[in-house]
Amino acid sequence: MKRLNPAYLFVAPAFLLAAVFILWPIVQSGWMSLHDWTIGEDSHKWLGFGNYTELFGDSRFWNALKVTLIYAVFVVAGQVAIGLALAQWLRRTTWYTMLLRSAFFFPTIASLAVTGIIWKFLLDPQVGLVDGWLGKAGISAQAWLQDTHLALPALIVVGIWKNFGFSMIVLLAGVQGVRKELLEAATLDGAGAIARFRHVTLPALRPAILFTVVIGTVNALQLFDLTYVMTDGGPLFHTESIVMYLYQRGFVDFRLGYASAIAWVLFLIIIAVSVVQLRMLRYRDDD
Amino acid sequence: MTTELTSDLTSVPAGTPSWVVPVLRSARSVARVLAWAVLSIAALATVVPFLWMLGVAFRTPADLYADPSRIWPDHWTFAGFHAVFTQLPFLRLAVNSVVFAGGTTVLLLLIDSLCAYALARLRFRGQNLVFWTILLTLMVPFQVMLIPLFLTVFHLGWLNTFQGLIVPRSVSALGIFMLRQFFIKIPRELDEAAKMDGAGPLRIYWQIILPLARPALASLFVIQFMALWNDFLWPLVITSDTDMRTLPSALTLFSSTSGVDHAALMAGAAISLAPLAIAFLLAQRFFTEGIAATGIK
Amino acid sequence: MKTHVNVAAAAVAAAGLLAAAGCSSSSSSSPSGSGGSVVKLSVLTGFTGPDGPSYQALVSQFNASHPNIKVTMDIQPWDAIGQKLPSEWATGQGPDLATPNFDPGVIFTYIKTNSVLPLDSAVGAGDTQINSSAFPSSVTKAFTVDGHLYAVPANLASVALYYNKTMFTAAGITDAPKTSDEFVADVKKLTLGGANPTQYGISLADHQTIQMWPILQWMNGGDIVGADGCAAVNSAASVQALSTWAGLVQSDHVSPVGQTGADADTLFSAKKAAMELNGPWAADGFRKAGIDLGIAPVPVGSAGPVTVASTVPMMVAKNTKHKAEALEFLSWWTGKTAQASFSKQSGFPPARTDVTVSDPNTAVFAQALPNARLYLAGLPSSSQIDSDVYTPMLGQLTRGADAQKSADAAAKAINALTGCKS
Repeated sequence: MKRLNPAYLFVAPAFLLAAVFILWPIVQSGWMSLHDWTIGEDSHKWLGFGNYTELFGDSRFWNALKVTLIYAVFVVAGQVAIGLALAQWLRRTTWYTMLLRSAFFFPTIASLAVTGIIWKFLLDPQVGLVDGWLGKAGISAQAWLQDTHLALPALIVVGIWKNFGFSMIVLLAGVQGVRKELLEAATLDGAGAIARFRHVTLPALRPAILFTVVIGTVNALQLFDLTYVMTDGGPLFHTESIVMYLYQRGFVDFRLGYASAIAWVLFLIIIAVSVVQLRMLRYRDDD
Repeated sequence: MTTELTSDLTSVPAGTPSWVVPVLRSARSVARVLAWAVLSIAALATVVPFLWMLGVAFRTPADLYADPSRIWPDHWTFAGFHAVFTQLPFLRLAVNSVVFAGGTTVLLLLIDSLCAYALARLRFRGQNLVFWTILLTLMVPFQVMLIPLFLTVFHLGWLNTFQGLIVPRSVSALGIFMLRQFFIKIPRELDEAAKMDGAGPLRIYWQIILPLARPALASLFVIQFMALWNDFLWPLVITSDTDMRTLPSALTLFSSTSGVDHAALMAGAAISLAPLAIAFLLAQRFFTEGIAATGIK
Repeated sequence: MKTHVNVAAAAVAAAGLLAAAGCSSSSSSSPSGSGGSVVKLSVLTGFTGPDGPSYQALVSQFNASHPNIKVTMDIQPWDAIGQKLPSEWATGQGPDLATPNFDPGVIFTYIKTNSVLPLDSAVGAGDTQINSSAFPSSVTKAFTVDGHLYAVPANLASVALYYNKTMFTAAGITDAPKTSDEFVADVKKLTLGGANPTQYGISLADHQTIQMWPILQWMNGGDIVGADGCAAVNSAASVQALSTWAGLVQSDHVSPVGQTGADADTLFSAKKAAMELNGPWAADGFRKAGIDLGIAPVPVGSAGPVTVASTVPMMVAKNTKHKAEALEFLSWWTGKTAQASFSKQSGFPPARTDVTVSDPNTAVFAQALPNARLYLAGLPSSSQIDSDVYTPMLGQLTRGADAQKSADAAAKAINALTGCKS
């Protein structure tokens, strides 16, 4: 009798749960995207790819795509770069580094809704903290979230602020796991701190960097809560992300079929981006 | 405690003239002090928004509007906290949140680590398919899955139940991915040694891999617990019984288009944040241990 | 090993929890028993914020006076309701009654999906009936589709002019402006500080707010969508009003640009603006913020007194198990006693034209009701017009776009949405 590979038993619970509670709803939403779907209606008109062709010509969708991509690129780059630097500088564990690490991780803990509300107040041009302090430094107040040119950059900064602590913690586990012998060997060879970082630490961090980049990107591309609370997609759609637009069409206009089509296009984009990232960072290597 | 290399302070590049060395050392000291100062200021700047939030929780509306950018209250009040505790069935909400977030996270750690171990260590047919399928689940925004998921849970008869709340959320692709990356880095020699002692994959998983993965498990625990603790929409959709509500949904009670009770809102946010902060500080101990510390015996 | 034990213990605990939880489901509405047992009704509303307690108090009053019915009101944010209510009602779950959205236009969707009951059977002149003739006619009209009444007003409000008396005195103005011309003059006078004002004449909001700009158009005889369903936003009167006020914002800096309703309230509360157009809910908060508050009717323009009204529809689920009790609740809610009591408690005007208001602060809002118009009333595409066309148009105007061009573009988009063939 051929023995069942025990690996399947390890994988079964996760796979089963994912299939029933995540993949099946995704498939159902795909089905909805092929119809004109309003929840509660008795019958739903079949549209084939009608929603998708409409989407292709929808300028507001393309704007949302642009906004989302810009946001994702800058936030992921920012959070990983800052997280990496902090993980390296704070790798030793003393009471003080633990304190600093906690401070840096704190933004990750707050809920997105509360974060949005706080920052909306802080960025208010008349009564907010940011402009108040800038004013004391002699810089004139800016309407951060009301100015069409400043709103997206402000949002990006808040996005980085919210996430860099998470990247730092993930990369910290990796930095602390770098083999001491390799670092010692490099020092004996005369390598300075920067060289050691580049040639020993960084390569050893590849799995952790891969993880945080992919996860960061997947999250950033699904931007919703922060912009919903802070700008509601404004001013004049300059911060309207894809999921925001999807929400508008699906739950305000009640066109769930169209919203599902938007979601599926986003889904395909995220898959494409992740494949590229995983290939580039060579996820299969176990070294 | 990780042992660190002898500090950068004493290592100078080979061939430096001897008169340069003390200059280099003091320059490095100054640089280090500067670096710590910058880091400290950055840390303070990072938490200023929360300090402000805490301040608002104790301020009267008149005080808040007189100078919204000030961090500390001029006139202290407990009205915000009072509103939170009197308008909400606070204990019930907190218990529900702990059960939901805690129960789901524990189950999730188990399920995720089992799967991650198989993906990192065991060879089996279809492992790429499994990895990609799991990863795919992260890529669809929740808003879109919401209604089909609601229907699925409805058809299972799990609406308004704890299992309906917990089970669908007990697997996380983020967790599987993160643990897999971590498990990959654990030296295979440890596995080999255990195998030679006759251990099967389950024992290796339980006795070797899991203990070594404490930093990653601790990180994942904090991250997942916090995400579930803050999750507003999911419990709202699955439960219609107000007895089963969790903390975040109750906090939305204090803001609306017709006005915001800032003190109550921020008081509620602060209260909701406190357990997470505590959980993180407690979990900090686990972050300090690297797998390299075990060495190879 | 320590971790070993901890994880095992946790897993056992989790399993135990699930097993125990399996028996702990609670049903949302109990079966209606015969004679003597209490009928349970559930109502879902979006009245978060400082308003909430007033509505809860009304529910408690109902429960006290109706021993055989027990109503529980669940309060959730509007967007959460929008995300779960349709599927709940579609699967036979969900509350017996609900206010699906603050926008009256939402009733069309729920009628289309056959999720709500027509209320005609309960309409009449009696005390236990829905006296729809006592509602303002604009409200009844907005809630009547194809000749059937589908909703009652859960509340009713109008917008008045809040002003800061201290700032007015400092600027030498004795009374609130009464005419459109005085309005424009005062707003300029009260803006201090040049291009970066330290004090704004008025705090205008253009999104996520009860709409203020329609008032400015209506004052001049303009409108957004005419009675025929065709766009009126580019009529001469509308464009004149829009360009006047956009000019005031752009060149005279009388108000910040791009504010939400909450931003506008904050600005006024922080004593950085002298006036704000807002509803009765704001009065309490402004007083708590320490403002010497004045409330006056909206200034009168060439088209006569006018202001914007807002009302929230409350509807009955089609698959409610307690139709009679739900209708009884609606009848009571819109009855004279309840409305008088609610008005006293919340400061809102009553949702009935035949209840007099004694409180002078509430009186301002109640007196404005006969001339109050609903924003985009009776249009199935109202939410789309608001978010896709009108609000962006305001955003462009206040940032310097040409009024006629923007209005024409908006008119075209509106006609596409309403199906007007002009």
